[in-house]
Amino acid sequence: MEKVLLDVRGLKVGFPTMDGQVKASDTVDLRIASRETLALLGETGSGKTVLGMAILRLLQPNTIIEGEIRFLDRDLLTIPEKDMRKMRGKEIAIVLQNSGTSLNPVYTVGTQIAEAISLHQGLKKPAALSRAVELLDAVRIPDPDRMAREYPHQFSGGMRERVLIALALACNPSFLIADEPTKGLDSVTRQQILDLFREINQDRAVLFITHDIDAAAALATRVAVMYAGEFAEIGPAAAVLGHPAHPYTRGLLASLPERGMRAIPGSAPSLITLPEGCRFSPRCTSVSERCTLEHPGLVRVGPGHYARCMLYD
Amino acid sequence: MSGNNLSFYLSFGVVLIYAAFALFAPIIAPFDPFMISGAPLASPDATHLLGTNDLAQDIFSRLIWGTRATLFLGIVGALISVTLGTVIGIVSGYYGGMVDEIIMRFLDVVMTIPFFPLLLVLTIFFRPGIYTSAVLMGILGSIQGVRIIRSQVLSLAVADFVVATKALGARGSYIMARHILPGILPLVGVKFVFSAQHFMLIGIGLGFLGMGDPGVVDWGQMINRASQNGGVILGLWWWLFPPGLAVTFLSLALAWFGYACEDRINPRIQMMRV
Amino acid sequence: MIEVSDLRTSYSTGFLHRTEIRAVDGVSFEINSGETLGLVGESGCGKTTLGCSILRLVEPTSGQVVVNGTDITALSGRALRQFRSHMQMIFQDSYASLNPRFRIRESIAEPMKIHHMGDQSTIDRRVRELIEEVGLNEEHLNRRPYELSGGQNQRVVLARVLAIRPEFIVADEPTSALDVSVQAQILNLIRDLGQDYHMTCLYISHDLEVVRAMSDRVAVMLKGQIVEIGKTTEIFDHPSHPYTRMLVSASGHHMDEMAAESMR
Repeated sequence: MEKVLLDVRGLKVGFPTMDGQVKASDTVDLRIASRETLALLGETGSGKTVLGMAILRLLQPNTIIEGEIRFLDRDLLTIPEKDMRKMRGKEIAIVLQNSGTSLNPVYTVGTQIAEAISLHQGLKKPAALSRAVELLDAVRIPDPDRMAREYPHQFSGGMRERVLIALALACNPSFLIADEPTKGLDSVTRQQILDLFREINQDRAVLFITHDIDAAAALATRVAVMYAGEFAEIGPAAAVLGHPAHPYTRGLLASLPERGMRAIPGSAPSLITLPEGCRFSPRCTSVSERCTLEHPGLVRVGPGHYARCMLYD
Repeated sequence: MSGNNLSFYLSFGVVLIYAAFALFAPIIAPFDPFMISGAPLASPDATHLLGTNDLAQDIFSRLIWGTRATLFLGIVGALISVTLGTVIGIVSGYYGGMVDEIIMRFLDVVMTIPFFPLLLVLTIFFRPGIYTSAVLMGILGSIQGVRIIRSQVLSLAVADFVVATKALGARGSYIMARHILPGILPLVGVKFVFSAQHFMLIGIGLGFLGMGDPGVVDWGQMINRASQNGGVILGLWWWLFPPGLAVTFLSLALAWFGYACEDRINPRIQMMRV
Repeated sequence: MIEVSDLRTSYSTGFLHRTEIRAVDGVSFEINSGETLGLVGESGCGKTTLGCSILRLVEPTSGQVVVNGTDITALSGRALRQFRSHMQMIFQDSYASLNPRFRIRESIAEPMKIHHMGDQSTIDRRVRELIEEVGLNEEHLNRRPYELSGGQNQRVVLARVLAIRPEFIVADEPTSALDVSVQAQILNLIRDLGQDYHMTCLYISHDLEVVRAMSDRVAVMLKGQIVEIGKTTEIFDHPSHPYTRMLVSASGHHMDEMAAESMR
């Protein structure tokens, strides 16, 4: 039995806005073992990115966070900021979404990676730079020595993604969070990035946040499907994606072009005004009256496989 | 955001007060500004709140009447400047290519000539007058604005919705009027406020240098006369300072208003970019 | 219905040291009436430029495009503008495709106003029809784009495009920015409406599964040229060009692999 590295208990994340509180995360429990890759599958508005950012305490100061995030016997939500800073980049690293703004356009790529290294390992600049070149090589960037001296805008989308991965791996973290690493990439580049992740995921715990079902199938040992701020289903990847229990998961898979492209009617609820009872009930084809009255809990549907649905209760 | 609203209304209020003074000058001012109304160089008293100048004109009345020239130069100058700058900026930014190149290179050359000296030279050439000054400032001042407006237009012109409207078969003039212009109006508005402030100060400068319209009461000229005809030597602060203070406060109020406007248009710009 | 002959579009950069980038380098193909031709390729292969060139949103350097017998590469000025109502484009970013200051009803009415398709009441009626056809309702008409989701905005874009009943549509990655379940909704909508309005379509995407689901025929593009073109089933089941083979194999099959593994 693998050691549990991350243990999230009862996590609630809310953002106060003019129209009410956005409940991005509603009492989430999650455990990741030290060598497993958990894919957090969800669509826009499910709350998945917020979960990743919450673990690193990278959310805005006015965010309301409750619960526990246990990592290496410490509750990340209660430790002082300076201890958290020591964690970030070193023990837990995040590969942020590859927007053009994730890398500073003013510094060369090598300098930015070297900065990440120096921050935690206190290496002097030349040593840090050569380590940066090693990292660029490890993420399969051709001609790493020259590329380290280039600027972000000279890299293509796929190459920038690799740079972000190199940045995250700079201090060899035991826990990696990847936020939508395949978003916006064309199919060939995407496949290359997935291959790269296959390699680096072997040595660490990984939380892979994505809406790309195929990527989850490629990399994950376990999959958690997120809907409206909570887990609709969680379990081994083959089980969740192979014989999904929750109607939402089933609907997601059915809407894939290669599976018939049958759309789920309606749209995701706003995280401010959530429906009564089961949050998926307004769109569910197997809905019953009980679903609109009671809010279902996670029910066991197989070994290590749970679904939040009245069908199994 | 209430702090921001406060700045907005407060500064606008101050500007309105000045405008009121300008508008109602004939009613508010106790004396005709050109009329001899007492002893020259008199100190402030109950009739002459700020005393009289060397020509025995009431300074307080002149101060009030001076608001007109200042505001006129600022507003009309800014109006001309902003309109011209917007038209050129939109045409240049939207059509791009040769048109844009020619305009921008021309502007590059003209911009190397310093604004104020050029304005002075032209004012002398066309002879000082309030309308002349306003038009000259407007034309010369528009050049700077074109750059900023053009860059905003450039980014709008490649926005998908503009391309989409072009794809619908709309003509250039329609797109510029219906899609581009409303998009840059907030920017143009802010530019207007800052230009007005700028031109008012320039107007005072012209007056001070003796390039003001002699037929009009002008704070710059007032300061000039005060400093030349004994105001400094005799320590007649009531003659020397009020115009300067008046323009300072007006300028500050306008700048404050301009910044408040800028803040206001920002969240909207951000919302549009969602 | 659409005939493209040796189309070339180049960009030149630099002032003194002119370098030419051949985005579209000699492309020829046909699209039959009512058919959807899928255009696939990696980023940078020129597929977007090809789509824009056919519609003359970007000026081709040389070549010919004939739409329903009319040589649109020879048209100019007013004639071109008027012909534009026959061919439309859908972009990837639905938020950017709509003027953020316009209300939805104004955006949908605009094409009809530009082409003088009736008086105000006729246009209003058509706007209400269109909004229902694309699966939204009247309360959305008064909103602005930033108040709607990406999927909803893409529906509005569809309504806007359909307003003038074009015969030919170029769809450039219309669902790439959308979630899977929303994508399914929008793609189904495009397919259904395409049939209702009997439209010919060029569907550009880098997602092979989407192209497979939407197209009758597929063209594969590499470095500005079409390397293979044929019926969808043929291209996917028996790809002949090595590049096509690589694309097809790179397309995510991980779900099937996983299913196969778990059966062991």
